[in-house]
Amino acid sequence: MTVDVQYYVLLSMAVFCIGLFGVLTRRNALLFLMSVELMLNAANINLIAFAFYHGNLTGQLFALFTMALAAAEVAVGLGIILVLYRNFRDVDVTVPTTMRW
Amino acid sequence: MAVLELPDWMALAPALILAGTALVLFLIDSIEPHSTNRTLLSGTAVAGSLSSLAVAVWFTVAGVGATGIENYGVIDIMNGQFVVDQLALYFMIIIAVVTALVTVASYDYLQDHTYQAEYYSLVVLAATGMSMMAASNSLVTIFIALELTSLPSYALVAILKDNRGSVEAGLKYFLIGALSSAIFVYGVSLVYGATGSLQLTRIATVLESGDGAVGEMGGLLGLGILMLIGGVAFKTASVPFHFWAPEAYEGAPAPISAFLSSASKAAGFVLAFRVFTTAFPLEATTGIIGVDWTLVFAILAIVTMTLGNFAAATQENVKRMLAYSSIGHAGYVLIGLAALSADGGDLVMGAAMMHLLVYGFMNTGAFLFVGLAEYWGVGRTFEDYNGLAERAPFACGAMAVFMFSLAGVPPFSGFWSKYLLYTELINAAADNTVLLVLAAALVINSALSLYYYSRLVKALWIEEPLLDRDRLAQPTGLYAAVIAAAVMTVVLLPAFGPVADAALEAAAAVVA
Repeated sequence: MTVDVQYYVLLSMAVFCIGLFGVLTRRNALLFLMSVELMLNAANINLIAFAFYHGNLTGQLFALFTMALAAAEVAVGLGIILVLYRNFRDVDVTVPTTMRW
Repeated sequence: MAVLELPDWMALAPALILAGTALVLFLIDSIEPHSTNRTLLSGTAVAGSLSSLAVAVWFTVAGVGATGIENYGVIDIMNGQFVVDQLALYFMIIIAVVTALVTVASYDYLQDHTYQAEYYSLVVLAATGMSMMAASNSLVTIFIALELTSLPSYALVAILKDNRGSVEAGLKYFLIGALSSAIFVYGVSLVYGATGSLQLTRIATVLESGDGAVGEMGGLLGLGILMLIGGVAFKTASVPFHFWAPEAYEGAPAPISAFLSSASKAAGFVLAFRVFTTAFPLEATTGIIGVDWTLVFAILAIVTMTLGNFAAATQENVKRMLAYSSIGHAGYVLIGLAALSADGGDLVMGAAMMHLLVYGFMNTGAFLFVGLAEYWGVGRTFEDYNGLAERAPFACGAMAVFMFSLAGVPPFSGFWSKYLLYTELINAAADNTVLLVLAAALVINSALSLYYYSRLVKALWIEEPLLDRDRLAQPTGLYAAVIAAAVMTVVLLPAFGPVADAALEAAAAVVA
């Protein structure tokens, strides 16, 4: 028995929206990173489900690239959060306000 | 391809040279980890970007990527994952030019910095990503090139680790960048879902033939395209993902602000030009999703240029004013995409590309002048710049050229590119109301921009300084970069005809 592709899309959209909600409401930079990971993984669910649906491997392959890039992004992000902590003694993204528009 | 019988992949040479330069810098760094030999490091980066520039110009002149009997034709690499045509080479030239200017200027700006080799290798790596983006022809390679550009940029903005402004700017840039790349990759997954392919020309083929389930997935496809536009808007600092730009440009080291606002913006635009002209043919896509995507770009263009210019007019801080002005210029270039639905839309796009090249010189130069002012330590507001011309007439003369050129005052090249954009837009508009509104917005915004650009020139040349200054130092690298950019802004005039032709041809080849 196979699950229809639209349920996968619904699942991925739910995951994406949870991630987006986290991005918009969380003030902790680490939780922000986790929320972005959710959004990236929502895209991976889509890619893999659609690869199965279309019967080609392009999507699965791209999902591998996405994972690698997500890891690289987290590495750079954690580095920035570390210097943020050293300068501001906090990882709250609303604390640094030396500049205002 | 037959330039001296080189293999096809050699057509990517401008990008490969940059990648090689980054590796050489890493090698130097691993041999001598704490090297502060600025001449060697900066020299390597400059040599790499200049040879990338030379090769890209040589390829353009030799006719690589150009169609026609005497030329070598468009070059496909790795089954169409990369494509080298006139558009790609044109943008590789812009990116190499900006990288060269920025690395020359960094020689002095980073005088006492601990992490020299890291800095230069990150700059060159980001430039590699931008260069690759110009040649990418598949959503996979585009996404990888996009991240290769973004990740070093985040680190570069935050590279002054003990400076609160720099760290805050890096954090904000990273947060919005991570969000927008997640949105972009979700858009890619939806487009893949609707069409079953990630290669741009194949996406277009599927959309035009209407094979399979594409017709029923119009909603997904439309949402996917909207999300791709979001990713593009981040890279080009356009509404609605523009709010990182003033923060990041203000907090970052000035050469990095110059790099991001010129080269990174150009890379974002080549991505947009490539994706939207190749993958989403207008009629077929409109038939499936029911909305004309040029309309989205028209709205974004008007909102972006108006917001950028009005916000710039209210700034007291020079770097922040330049940041908002760079948002305004993104709005002008977006017109190139908005006009694609009309006859002669390819000419408008060519004019927009021409404006990007001129912008690459004048905006980089303006930010590097701010870098020079930071080097002198004169402060950041308009008042702090009062009367600088007495002490540094050459640099201030160059800055006046940049400001008038950015505002679009004749006879500088900024005027001619804007004029070309305007006339092509009017020609294409005919009785198209949307395009006429765009043309009106362009004129009104240009007039407004003259106010805040001339305000800076007035501060430099006319106002009396607030306090007496000692003699100002004349750092070689920064001076050389600022003067070179000013000379190019002026010298582009006699060369304007052929260069504009190259841009128009490149645009026509992609749109056709």
